[in-house]
Amino acid sequence: MATSTVSPLTRPLPTAAARLGPPARPRRIWPSLVLLIGALYCLVPVAWVVIASTKSNSELFTTFTFAPGSGLLDNLRDLFSYGGGQFAQWALNSLIFAGFGSVACTLISTMAGFALAKYTFPGRQIVFYAILGGVLLPGITLAIPQYLLMSEIGLAGSYWSVLLPSLISPFGIYLARVYAGAAVPSETMEAARIDGAGDARVFSAIALPMLVPGMVTIFLLQFVSIWNNFLLPFIMLSDERMYPLTVGLYTLLSKGSGTPSLYSLAIIGAAVAIIPLVVMMLVLQRYWRLDLISGGLKG
Amino acid sequence: MSAEIAAAPPDRARRRPRSRWVAPYTFLLPAGILFIAFLAIPMVYALYLSFRGLRVTGDGPFGVQEETWVGLSNYVATFTDPEFLAGFGRLAIYGAIAVPVTLGLALTFALLLDLPRVRGARFARTAIFIPYAVPGVIASLLWGFLYLPSTSPANWLLGQLGLPELTVLDGGILFGSVANIAIWSGVGFNMIIIYTSLRGIPGDVYEAARIDGASEWDIAYRIKIPLVGPALVLTGLFALIGTLQVYGEPTTLRPMTNAISQTWVPLMKIYRDAFVRDDLSLAAASSVVLALGTLVLSVLLLRITQKRTFGES
Amino acid sequence: MRRRILAVAALSVAGLTLAACSSDGAEGAEEDQSTPDGPITLDYWAWGTAQQPMVEAWNEAHPDVQVVHTDAGGGGDSSAKLVTATRAENAPDVAIVEYNTLPAMIVAGVAADISEYTGDLENEYAPGVWSQATFDGASYGVPQDAGPMALTYNQARFDELGVEVPTTWAEFAEAAEAVREADPDTYITTFAPAEFGGFAGLAQQAGAEWWTVEGDTWTVGIDSDASLEVADYWQDLIDRDLVLAEPLLTPEWNAALNAGEILSWPAGLWAAGVLNGIAEPMAGDWAMAPLPQWEEGNPSVAFQGGSAVVVTTSAEYPEIAAEFAAWMGASDEAAAIQIEQGQYPASLAGQELTLESDPPLLMPQQEDYWAVAAEIAANTVPEISWGPNVNVASSAFQDAMSAAVQNGTPLREALATTHEAVVEDMETAGFTVATD
Repeated sequence: MATSTVSPLTRPLPTAAARLGPPARPRRIWPSLVLLIGALYCLVPVAWVVIASTKSNSELFTTFTFAPGSGLLDNLRDLFSYGGGQFAQWALNSLIFAGFGSVACTLISTMAGFALAKYTFPGRQIVFYAILGGVLLPGITLAIPQYLLMSEIGLAGSYWSVLLPSLISPFGIYLARVYAGAAVPSETMEAARIDGAGDARVFSAIALPMLVPGMVTIFLLQFVSIWNNFLLPFIMLSDERMYPLTVGLYTLLSKGSGTPSLYSLAIIGAAVAIIPLVVMMLVLQRYWRLDLISGGLKG
Repeated sequence: MSAEIAAAPPDRARRRPRSRWVAPYTFLLPAGILFIAFLAIPMVYALYLSFRGLRVTGDGPFGVQEETWVGLSNYVATFTDPEFLAGFGRLAIYGAIAVPVTLGLALTFALLLDLPRVRGARFARTAIFIPYAVPGVIASLLWGFLYLPSTSPANWLLGQLGLPELTVLDGGILFGSVANIAIWSGVGFNMIIIYTSLRGIPGDVYEAARIDGASEWDIAYRIKIPLVGPALVLTGLFALIGTLQVYGEPTTLRPMTNAISQTWVPLMKIYRDAFVRDDLSLAAASSVVLALGTLVLSVLLLRITQKRTFGES
Repeated sequence: MRRRILAVAALSVAGLTLAACSSDGAEGAEEDQSTPDGPITLDYWAWGTAQQPMVEAWNEAHPDVQVVHTDAGGGGDSSAKLVTATRAENAPDVAIVEYNTLPAMIVAGVAADISEYTGDLENEYAPGVWSQATFDGASYGVPQDAGPMALTYNQARFDELGVEVPTTWAEFAEAAEAVREADPDTYITTFAPAEFGGFAGLAQQAGAEWWTVEGDTWTVGIDSDASLEVADYWQDLIDRDLVLAEPLLTPEWNAALNAGEILSWPAGLWAAGVLNGIAEPMAGDWAMAPLPQWEEGNPSVAFQGGSAVVVTTSAEYPEIAAEFAAWMGASDEAAAIQIEQGQYPASLAGQELTLESDPPLLMPQQEDYWAVAAEIAANTVPEISWGPNVNVASSAFQDAMSAAVQNGTPLREALATTHEAVVEDMETAGFTVATD
């Protein structure tokens, strides 16, 4: 990515990282223009949430959409005092679900993916097709049976009921398999084995460090998907102190007859809720190895 | 999915000590247990439920409600429900907009980002990706505000220019409005996938073409697009699965318009049957139908595109 | 998946024996009723701003019975969750249920018969209110808030346009025309096709009975003449573009309301609180009047919304749970908090208490607000019964009516569609439905 700052004259030709056009060509304007329009399209709604979060409930419906309002501080105060500080609790819950869930899911997926990529064993193909099938299942169709089964074992309504199902990600396993297949050379493993290393050691000392970039990607994808998940916690949980942000914000909007929807609270809540995720995206963006997703189809 | 790229050659596998034979199963164990507990068993249970139903027997106005075997009647109800079938029709229109536009925009942006010396590329890449971080519930809420005539900035602009208001939650445009939310959320993610695989292509591949005087357009069309074929197939597959599972966007927009019914797309009907009508069995039957449909379509898509993309390989 | 058996006949017998003295009734033998040693905890699901302070007040006064309050979502979401939670044996001990979903909660085995614990609680309520939580002689809940229907209207705009506030629906139609003439951007009200409860209330006001049960046989009256006439009434207003046929309480609607382009809302008495949430700066412009009448001189109105406190079949200590429910529904302390939060109490004592209260925030100028409210509440339709599948009716109604408005097809037909869906669902489920 940094190559674009290298002058074409000093750059040795041709290298794998070479990206530059012939020096004779001038900078073009239209690619930037198209990208800028795309960026605007993506940013305008986000900007709206930020602007709308400064409006009081009635200003939301009376002032021009992109005109800032006067209620930011009031909204923030209302948000954090709502239900005795529930919003902070929701945010913490989201962090717990997404944090623990995605770390554990990454480890579990990596182990499974490593096994699928680097070993031949009876039943391997079946396991792999089962996982592909799992990628294709709509989550909503499983939510109710999951709830009933959770209740059978007495876990419905607990943190575990949301955490445990988020630990399994067929897509994560699929990615790990693809990445392990490409990143861990069998020769290195074999050399370690000749030196007397057991499988556990080969995995933890040799393979794991090589898999880190792939693991970061799985972690991020799973983090976002748990953070944004609505249906599973909505069905599993009934104690609002355990709600994650998505469900909590939804309850602000969906009240019974006779109770107004708390639009301004929901909007400032939304604005506050997307900030940590956007920040995380920006910070971790460079570690994304999404090309490994597409590499998989060749394997 | 044919060649096992880096798997140990079979001759060596045969000579492995017993511990190595156990190892893959040990690595798979946690995932396996979770897979069986939270995906396989619920699926089987849903299948079981789809043949059951609640029936009232006994006396009294409220009677006795019991769960019994009802054979295929849930499936009959699913397939004879015109709303369920119409839902698939609406899904097809929605998908016909959402899938190509998402992929087209993602590919365009990725190719532009990959061009040499484009001003603002870094900013654009980040900006276009940001919507991926916005939860669906919130995305639909904010687009709802932007769509409704009196809170829509577009209408304000039209009003200033003396043009008539635009209603986007109605008629044919409705499909575009719903699809737009999915496009908005999905373009960035797909763009990054394609862009990352573009970055993975060694630069010297283009050099010869450039020296021959090929334009960037030619390079994109003749070299880059074929090379990122697998990434496109994969993003296409995800977009297709995402389409079949569309639920959140129309559900959040429904209270804002008369034009979206509770059975607008198949998953909405499944949700309604399960949670509003408390008919879990019917919901289970429809889910089974939808899941099988997804499976068949995905396999078909992979079959067709695999052949095209990889030729004889 | 243990299903609770609900033979109402058996329950009413149990109720009779227990009325004498609850010693060893058939029900009581099942669960150990002895008072526990330590303090006990009750789980309570309820939505709305009034609940938390009410629960706090109870907890302060009852150190032995501590209640944990959970907001499990608004009316529809909450009942859906109650059903799944009961099936999974995770239900709370006590929950709020809207009157019209109560029968479904009984059928699903969520709500328990509490006749043996209610004693003379019935006297605390107007008959029309109490009957909403009573089925075939058995009580399944303690009414907490009531939503007798009224007309909440923008008095300032009515005055500005020189239109009189109508007292009959015929006058309302004329007023609707006058409003459109005076200001082409303005509508007198909204006909929101998805408002099942509101339309049902208007039909009940006109004399429709959507569900009735005699013995084991149900009669469904959703396409009865009275309902169809109500549909035709609104059809006419929609066809002449005299009302706005759009969903309620959307950002769009809220904006129009704030702009003074929607002048009234026929709805439960809670409307003042809801509108205040979206149009606070309009306080002082609005007022409340009795709902227009279908027949001049007949002031009876139906309810829209309102809910009862229900003891669930999962409650470990049903007697204590019922005691809490009774306190939440009928105590003065609870009623005072309700009024403060903008609800209209269901109990007579609570309604009397309103007369000493300030008018709601939206209409500080309307001194007689609570007096008018009391008069409306005294004239409610005496008996309204809802059926076991109001959920099906409501969802079929919403889709059929929205489609009718959308496609310009008759509302009558939408009602007929709803009627068919309801009858078909009841027959599939195995209920006996009379064919008319």
